[in-house]
Amino acid sequence: MGRLKRAHIIEAAIWLTIAAVFFGYSFEFNQPIEIYKFGATAWPRVVVAVLVIATLGNLYYSYRYGSSAQQGRIGVTNQEDETDFSDPSTLIKMIAVLFTPFIFAWLLKPVGIYFSAPFFIAAIMWLFGERRIKAILIMTAVIYVIFLGLFLVVLNAPLPQGNTSPFYDYSAWILKMNTQLQNLW
Amino acid sequence: MIENFLAGSSALFGDPVTIAIFVFGVIGGMLFGAIPGVSMLTLAAILLPFTAGLTPAQGVMLFAVIYCTGTYGGAITAILFNIPGAPENAPTAFDGYPMTQQGKSGKAVGAAVLCSAIGGVASALIMMAATEPLAQWAIRNIGPPEIFALVFFGLAVASSVGARTIWKGWMSVLIGLLIATIGQDPVGGINRYNFGVGDLAAGIAFVPAILGFFAVSEIFVQAERKAGGTYKAPKVSMSFPTFLELWMHKFAVLRSILVGFFCGILPGIGATLAAFMGYGEAVRWSKDKESFGKGNLEGVISSETANNAATGAAMIPLLALGLPGGALTAMMVAVFQMHDLQPGPLVFYTSPDLIWVVFAAMFYANLSILIIGLVETKTILNLLKIPFQFLAPLILMLATIGAYISRGLVLDVMVMFIAGILGYLLRRSGFSIPGIVLGLILGQIGEQNFAQGMQMVHYDLGTYFSRPICAILIAAGFITLLANIYRAFAPAAQPR
Repeated sequence: MGRLKRAHIIEAAIWLTIAAVFFGYSFEFNQPIEIYKFGATAWPRVVVAVLVIATLGNLYYSYRYGSSAQQGRIGVTNQEDETDFSDPSTLIKMIAVLFTPFIFAWLLKPVGIYFSAPFFIAAIMWLFGERRIKAILIMTAVIYVIFLGLFLVVLNAPLPQGNTSPFYDYSAWILKMNTQLQNLW
Repeated sequence: MIENFLAGSSALFGDPVTIAIFVFGVIGGMLFGAIPGVSMLTLAAILLPFTAGLTPAQGVMLFAVIYCTGTYGGAITAILFNIPGAPENAPTAFDGYPMTQQGKSGKAVGAAVLCSAIGGVASALIMMAATEPLAQWAIRNIGPPEIFALVFFGLAVASSVGARTIWKGWMSVLIGLLIATIGQDPVGGINRYNFGVGDLAAGIAFVPAILGFFAVSEIFVQAERKAGGTYKAPKVSMSFPTFLELWMHKFAVLRSILVGFFCGILPGIGATLAAFMGYGEAVRWSKDKESFGKGNLEGVISSETANNAATGAAMIPLLALGLPGGALTAMMVAVFQMHDLQPGPLVFYTSPDLIWVVFAAMFYANLSILIIGLVETKTILNLLKIPFQFLAPLILMLATIGAYISRGLVLDVMVMFIAGILGYLLRRSGFSIPGIVLGLILGQIGEQNFAQGMQMVHYDLGTYFSRPICAILIAAGFITLLANIYRAFAPAAQPR
């Protein structure tokens, strides 16, 4: 096994699977192009082939040297501080940080940004370790006002309003308020 | 040249909106460069969709200004937090952060202000003199085969930077190339890899991918530090270096300007290579080599002069050949494209006003670092006291809107957060985020030019090698690649 760890094998397996999926899916669009002999599949297949070679090279490197950085690499200074995830609460916090934005994005279509934004802002503050309720409420209000002021009042940016009641109604009310505000000047 | 420069200056300062955009770029670049966890790339990615509402000159100028001042701003986080704002600020942290730990952060930041300005102004002047003749030469000598060869060389060089090993460097670039294949192929318009999702037929939009890989992944990295209790607040001091202290390092400044400019021309990783080369040369020429890495002011001076000297140089491949030299210049390509323009030698004929407004803005932006940098830096240092838990939701909100607004698709927000999670995991595993982004940008340019080139030479690949520039670039790319593979099996440097 050399210095190979399970993590190296899993990493290689993930990349080889990605390469296999992309190679397999390339048959879905394997059509000739009249003006170009190599067609639409040649370029992605070459990329996939080189990715397989690089993955195997990386696996061989890991076999010989483990996770060590290669000598003389430029720009490899910020080796991320290895956080200890053995404590389940740290891991749960990190998973929550990674997936909260994703849930927010998923809610944008049904709920809209105007309603979901304050909850998202407060949740991120809490996940980043802020526990003072007053600070969370004040800063959420400040960021929400900045967001509305800049993107709605100044830029009139078209943002997702949601498509379910009562969230859509809330967005419509915000937009109505903005129109009335714009009419003032 | 002087007439054009004056015309560019009057266009820049003759319009209040353009002045406001310039000032916004100067302060925004410095501010975002200096806030830990975000960088000039975050600001640029957030602003990218909004440049559609500006004139092409204003849009490109804004990004050029952010590039100059953000490169300097990134030094502040490198010095105070040991978090380089961008890869090109990494060597600044080698000596800057030990200086902060010794309570000399003001001296390090002051040296970074002055040397960034000197390096940037010198580079801007050379850029103004060199870019147009080079563009004229490019029109006569550079065709699709040469551009493909340059892309190959750029990717070969990019793969050698930022990742833990050459293999991961190449894998980073290839991930970018693979993402770039999603959507319609550039020759026949055939849908590729849409996996049944209709919106993917238009490909992965550049803005959400950039926002995810840079801004969102940075937030996740900071979140990990918060969760693990490794987040450190900086010690801030305000005593700037004396003139005499800086004068003692004049040769280091001159050397770094030359190193920075020549490295900066390379597409792919110019400024990063410049900073490391500048730092490396400082160590090589020093009589007191052991003091480097322990708080030697010359380390900060060399790195910061070289990376800002590369900013002007990086504009040469972009404007003369249409090839981005780094992540931010890659975003400039998107600004050009949003206005139906293609960067490259023809821009000098189709939009000469734009070019000289950008040149003038870069010159003045570098001067601004010197003039307002010292004052502004003190304000920025105070802003650093804002806790990150309040900055993170603001940045995520801006990023969400930035991702959504360009095409009005919630899918793009999803793509951004997926790219953020992917970027975070890949960074932890030693992959290079700039490598992925360059692969994403250069992938489409590379494929299109390869296809056009092959049609041009009637599918005779040997013709590529009969064209001298093309042959030299392909050979240089292979030499870079082979040299890195050879080094890959040298003994490991940092056992973990």
